Amino acid sequence: MKHTITRKEDLNAVDYVIDVVAPEVAKRFRPGNFAVLITVKNGERIPMSIERAEGDTITMYIKRLGKTSRELDTWNVGDALYKVIGPMGTPPPLKKYGTVVFASDLVCGHAENNAMCRELGKIMGNHIISIQSFPDKSLIYPEKELAKSVSDEFILCTEDGSVGRKGHYLDIMQELLEERRIDQVFAGGGIPPLQKLSELTKKYNVPVYTTVRQIMVDATGMCGSCRVFIDGEQKLACIDGPMFDGHKVDWEAAISRLAMFKNKEAVAMECYNEKMKEVV
Amino acid sequence: MAVQPRVPMREQNPAVRITNFMSVPLGYSSEEAVTEAKRCLQCKVPMCETGCPVRMSIKDIIKLIADEEFEKAFYLSKADNAVPAMTGRVCPQEDQCEGKCVLDKTGQPINIGKLFAFVADWARKKDILEQIPEESNGKKVAIVGAGPAGITCSVDLRKLGYEVTVFEALHMAGGVLQYGIPAFRLPRDVVDYELSYLEKIGVDIQLNKVVGQNVDFEVLKKEYDAIYLATGAGAPRFLNCEGEKLKGVYSANEFLIRVNLMKAYKFPDWDTPIICGDKVGVIGCGNVAMDAARCAKRLGAKEVSILYRRTKQCAPARAEEIHHAEEEGIIFKEMISPCRIFGNEDGWVTGIEMVKTEFKGTDKSGRPRPVNVEGSEFILEMDTIINALGTTPNRLFLSNVPELDTYSWGGIKVDDNYMSNIPGVFAGGDALSGGSTVIDAMGNGRDAAEAIDKYLNNP
Repeated sequence: MKHTITRKEDLNAVDYVIDVVAPEVAKRFRPGNFAVLITVKNGERIPMSIERAEGDTITMYIKRLGKTSRELDTWNVGDALYKVIGPMGTPPPLKKYGTVVFASDLVCGHAENNAMCRELGKIMGNHIISIQSFPDKSLIYPEKELAKSVSDEFILCTEDGSVGRKGHYLDIMQELLEERRIDQVFAGGGIPPLQKLSELTKKYNVPVYTTVRQIMVDATGMCGSCRVFIDGEQKLACIDGPMFDGHKVDWEAAISRLAMFKNKEAVAMECYNEKMKEVV
Repeated sequence: MAVQPRVPMREQNPAVRITNFMSVPLGYSSEEAVTEAKRCLQCKVPMCETGCPVRMSIKDIIKLIADEEFEKAFYLSKADNAVPAMTGRVCPQEDQCEGKCVLDKTGQPINIGKLFAFVADWARKKDILEQIPEESNGKKVAIVGAGPAGITCSVDLRKLGYEVTVFEALHMAGGVLQYGIPAFRLPRDVVDYELSYLEKIGVDIQLNKVVGQNVDFEVLKKEYDAIYLATGAGAPRFLNCEGEKLKGVYSANEFLIRVNLMKAYKFPDWDTPIICGDKVGVIGCGNVAMDAARCAKRLGAKEVSILYRRTKQCAPARAEEIHHAEEEGIIFKEMISPCRIFGNEDGWVTGIEMVKTEFKGTDKSGRPRPVNVEGSEFILEMDTIINALGTTPNRLFLSNVPELDTYSWGGIKVDDNYMSNIPGVFAGGDALSGGSTVIDAMGNGRDAAEAIDKYLNNP
């Protein structure tokens, strides 16, 4: 199977979008699933959110962050990834909730936001509110990649207020929870805001599903690296999640474990930069 | 009559080999193999063969080696064993063939494992292959999992003329041979070569196929005449003690997958990193514990300890592995059991609290039962803890096939013919047993192939 890139566009200075041929993943994808990418033969197995599946291809938003995402950024339409595996993970129930909010922020979660809102909106009786939070005007996505078209209410916010509402999604959520009846919240993005969101929704007694990003290796339930602690019970983000009831997640452990390989990631980046200098 | 001593196996010097991942045993030369084979008494009733889970013709193979008929010896070993170069290296021979050898009583049994590895290596170097079955009998079998059980079953069925497709969830075939066993025990060129044999005889291996996730089990049931589930026991067990969420605490699976499958020891040339500290504690004393400890040493750990609640005399690890580990400076701390792991403000492991144990009676396995000595708790400073406590059957597959009958611990229930409660769906290997040896899983794969053949010929 050749996992050819069929589209690659910049979303802004740090994010880009790619469409990749992966028919098996596309065929069985449900919002809440993810894919495992291996970009090159000696690459890592990295979990990646899927924005949509159409025909034979899947769409993914990628942040130029570490070595792998930057290396992949040097590729073009027609180039192929080494492996694309999935869909993996267990999606939360996609059903009638009533008024549903999906929030995502600068770190990530926008792919899930689009995918979830699209699907939940198809289910009769759901009223969809999407909140997308970015640092500033320069880092928002082009309009066609936002969840505006798949939500009943769409709230764009920037932390400096340069476009849309001023603030993080947490500020918007606070207002919404005070003013209106919300039946279910979903959220992706940075882990510390997710912890805060979980505390906030708990205060208002509103259930929340959060994407608990953890470091995965095989992503098939074999290594235990992505273990998260739910009400004291050990679960695996790769097969039981990655979305969990935010009120029950041990957030301190999740935040700590996510940083385990930070120094190594910096080493990988440095070596890649050195290599690129030689190429130039 | 005095028994000739075993021809010693040349090995990499321990001081050198802890700096690399190359094979520890250097293998027999032709002369050495012939000399060793000539020690065989050619017993009328070869007890060694009764100990072999895949029923190899051990006596005849050794005779052929003694007669320098290496090619014939290779064909004969390949007749019963799809991957002799691997089993020759990783089987617990001391409990099986060699343990039953008449010469075992003298302490010098025939070195059957190394002789078989020699023959297979000889054939690999000469690129000699077995005859390839061409025609199909028109029936199709799907095999889920390309580990030892799945591989063996696929080869036996292909030889009988079945069209066989193996679905493997990972991006490389081999199962534990690939992700679990380190290259210093099982060189990767050996793995690659023996697995390429499957493709050469026409077994179709489909990688990255996670049955239940991206391959519909219902579709498999419709498209294939029979299915063999060899999904293994890949899920790690944890202590479920305080501090297990700390950074620097690994399951042996994670540690070994990073090193063996993802080549973390080649980081940053390979992208997957690993963090191994200076003072490493490995909990458990099986072969997996030895592999993890010896990998840690090769990753540069200054002090690696096995923490075990029994003594190494009753450990599940092979004697050879314990011996190699000791040669490499692995420290064995026996009769102690973990209580809790603790760490610093940044969430990294700094130590583990252990309690002393004593033996009281025996347990279900017949081994002495260790019980904690109250009040004997003490602390070991560690910066890396690796849990090698065994594994449980793969939960991912089972969760996708809820109609499959399983035991409460996750093992698949089968009848005397290895058939599950779903007609035409067979199961084997660690998915049944919950964890055993490569060769036992292979024996299971052979038996299942026979059962599947019988089932498909007498529907």
